[in-house]
Amino acid sequence: MASFILRKAEPKDVSDILRLIKELAKYEEMEDQVILTEKELLEDGFGEHPFYHCVVAEVPKEHQSSEGHTVVGFAMYYFTYDPWIGKLLYLEDFYVMKEYRGYGMGSEILKKLSHTAVKTRCSSMHFIVAEWNKPSIEFYKRRGASDLSSEEGWRLFKIDKQFLVKMSSEE
Amino acid sequence: MASFILRKAEPKDVSDILRLIKELAKFEEMEDQVILTEKDLLDDGFGEHPFYHCVVAEVPNEQQSSEGHTVVGFAMYYFTYDPWIGKLLYLEDFYVMKEYRGYGMGSKILKHLSNTAVKTRCSSMHFIVAEWNKPSIEFYKRRGASDLSSEEGWRLFEIDKQYLVKMSSEE
Repeated sequence: MASFILRKAEPKDVSDILRLIKELAKYEEMEDQVILTEKELLEDGFGEHPFYHCVVAEVPKEHQSSEGHTVVGFAMYYFTYDPWIGKLLYLEDFYVMKEYRGYGMGSEILKKLSHTAVKTRCSSMHFIVAEWNKPSIEFYKRRGASDLSSEEGWRLFKIDKQFLVKMSSEE
Repeated sequence: MASFILRKAEPKDVSDILRLIKELAKFEEMEDQVILTEKDLLDDGFGEHPFYHCVVAEVPNEQQSSEGHTVVGFAMYYFTYDPWIGKLLYLEDFYVMKEYRGYGMGSKILKHLSNTAVKTRCSSMHFIVAEWNKPSIEFYKRRGASDLSSEEGWRLFEIDKQYLVKMSSEE
């Protein structure tokens, strides 16, 4: 199996995108945490103001997966803003189905995203990787990635909705 | 000094926004790294597709700073997307000038952002904090923030433009 195409996701792809999001979450042992629905993916990605963008990797029908899927990989990204340098491309999710790995799909996807970043005048691509995910860390480092958490000591924080509601209703 | 207002930034505020970005960078000992210009801020924040949003804190003329400024605090944020839950509000920069601290401006700004997040149906607010910045870490923890880097082992990576160009032009 060597042939595949990369293309911008379309509204019809939301069911495949959700399936692949869940597969990646399963790999991270977090499958139950995916509460997003196809309807939300549709509104949020293909409405007037897209909150995310996707590229998908598709194989010809003859190479469909055991469950009949031809969309076998994806990357979800959006644009963020660094107050020192401006626009950045933020890579949020990136996954190729296990049986389709080793054919250069991942590299091609990353190359396409790099091209998008350069074309839209982004200064850098940012993303987070779990510290235990050595294969991914190596994949990115081979391509020039640096670990800002190590180099600059950044830690990611969150304030969940319950606390946002609490703060927004306090006097 | 007790009175101030919070409002959405307008195009006329870009010069104050840049000034405050540089002040915060100076606090992080990175002032020379700010290469963004007022023109970039104008194009990127007030064009057809805003890449960031800002709220600013303004004091009355009688309480202007020693250098004659009335815009004395700001927060820069944008919307990101979590493939498991959907829209998030990402807090990128957050700063109040030293002489105006202790009056609740920071709390009010965070409350304003919390309200924005809830109103726009975001599930959470995310942001990064430098591990050495104990006062900020405490400020956020008091309001319900959790350290995802500690809890889930996330590390922030970047691939800089030189490597993006290299990847996008490789065969």
